[in-house]
Amino acid sequence: MTFTLKIWRQNGPHERGRFVTYEAYDVSPGMSFLEMLDGINQRLIGTGEEPVAFEQDCREGICGSCSLVINGIPHGPDQGITTCQLYMRRFSDGASITIEPWRANAFPILKDLVVDRSALDRIMQAGGYISVNTGGAVDGNVLLIGKDQAETAMDAASCIGCGACVAACKNASAMLFVAAKVSHLATLPQGRPERARRVSAMLKAMDQEGFGSCGNQYECEAVCPKGISARFIANLNREYLRAGIVESGCPSEPESPHAESA
Amino acid sequence: MVIALTGLGLVVFVVFHMLGNLQLFEGPLALNRYAAVLRDMPILLWAVRIGLLSMAVFHIGLALQLSMQNRRARPLEYTIHRYRKASIASRTMAISGMALLLFVAFHLLHLTAGVIDPGFADRRDPEGNRDVYTKVVHAFQNPFVVILYLVGQLGLGLHLRHAIASSVQTMGFEHAGLNRLLKALGPVIGLIVVLGNVAIILAVFLGIVH
Repeated sequence: MTFTLKIWRQNGPHERGRFVTYEAYDVSPGMSFLEMLDGINQRLIGTGEEPVAFEQDCREGICGSCSLVINGIPHGPDQGITTCQLYMRRFSDGASITIEPWRANAFPILKDLVVDRSALDRIMQAGGYISVNTGGAVDGNVLLIGKDQAETAMDAASCIGCGACVAACKNASAMLFVAAKVSHLATLPQGRPERARRVSAMLKAMDQEGFGSCGNQYECEAVCPKGISARFIANLNREYLRAGIVESGCPSEPESPHAESA
Repeated sequence: MVIALTGLGLVVFVVFHMLGNLQLFEGPLALNRYAAVLRDMPILLWAVRIGLLSMAVFHIGLALQLSMQNRRARPLEYTIHRYRKASIASRTMAISGMALLLFVAFHLLHLTAGVIDPGFADRRDPEGNRDVYTKVVHAFQNPFVVILYLVGQLGLGLHLRHAIASSVQTMGFEHAGLNRLLKALGPVIGLIVVLGNVAIILAVFLGIVH
């Protein structure tokens, strides 16, 4: 198969980017999208040109590294998969394919198709954890968790943090990401003690990073490779309301969970 | 959150406004009496008016502020962007909202304040009430007014279609068993309000009510 690729090239965060057209020859239908790009890069290296920078790691759809907007859709035309799981047989021979990076103020472009997604890490640092004392592992089945709760928590926890929700949202909002993380922990007994502080802190961090707000279009849900439901965004809103009520009851800021260990 | 709350407040108003206006079909005396009852309670009437106005101001002001923030969240647009799920209504909220604002301004000047068509402002019916009925019937015999109002209703329907279910989600109402009902709220309530209003406009225009 052969393809015409329009790829976004940008040398650095503050440089101007532009599209460069490349031809892809001898592509096998069984190649993944990233393998096809590997082929292009091999050729570019051979001719002494700068290869196209793109992010990848596990290539089995679980790490959340690959991040390409393919023909206007994050992770490409198929639902429920990451870019690395997209195969070239999905495209018709001779097709023209436009490849862009995630575009968001909070995700500055580092080079070509690679963006800096550490804004999501900083949201996690603000509250996406539980505070537990170190020591021996807790015995199994000490905390009994209902099947439905466990399922809901697992559905939310399947978020791999790839940022496709941000890329697809017209407001570049990270609501689905935050919703998944907040819902995951708030559903489980281990996450309950800090749930009010967590949701406030994570939403505050999200705003500070320059993400937009939710317009309830659910584009995020449509492109999420893990099929995280926008129901969790309603749950996030509920948690936030609850936190507002709980925190208004005790105005003093609860002590930082890290104060002890410091 | 505030946008959702104020929006829902305005939705409640348009529903009752439509229901009240349907009394047009009960004849001139019924509609004029209804109008007189509303005017007989000036404190309540003005409280509602000020409430609606402040809700609208908050709703629009915050929406503008948010959309400016959202624009900043993606400084450089995609060259190609394809929607997968977003409804047309959800993508045109700003346009339908602005169309609604213009329409409401016209509507208030037209039928409430009587600035645009002053001829009928002070007419009385046989019971001595203000003759709202004749004013409405006169207005909707004019095809330009009818087209303007129908466009206004289109904007209203489009806005409500996304707005109601969206507000419900923003307030955090969501339940596996109720989701289909909650999602249907927007289109259903929007359709009822629009159909009720359009029925009034067309009934007059087509000469069914005169």
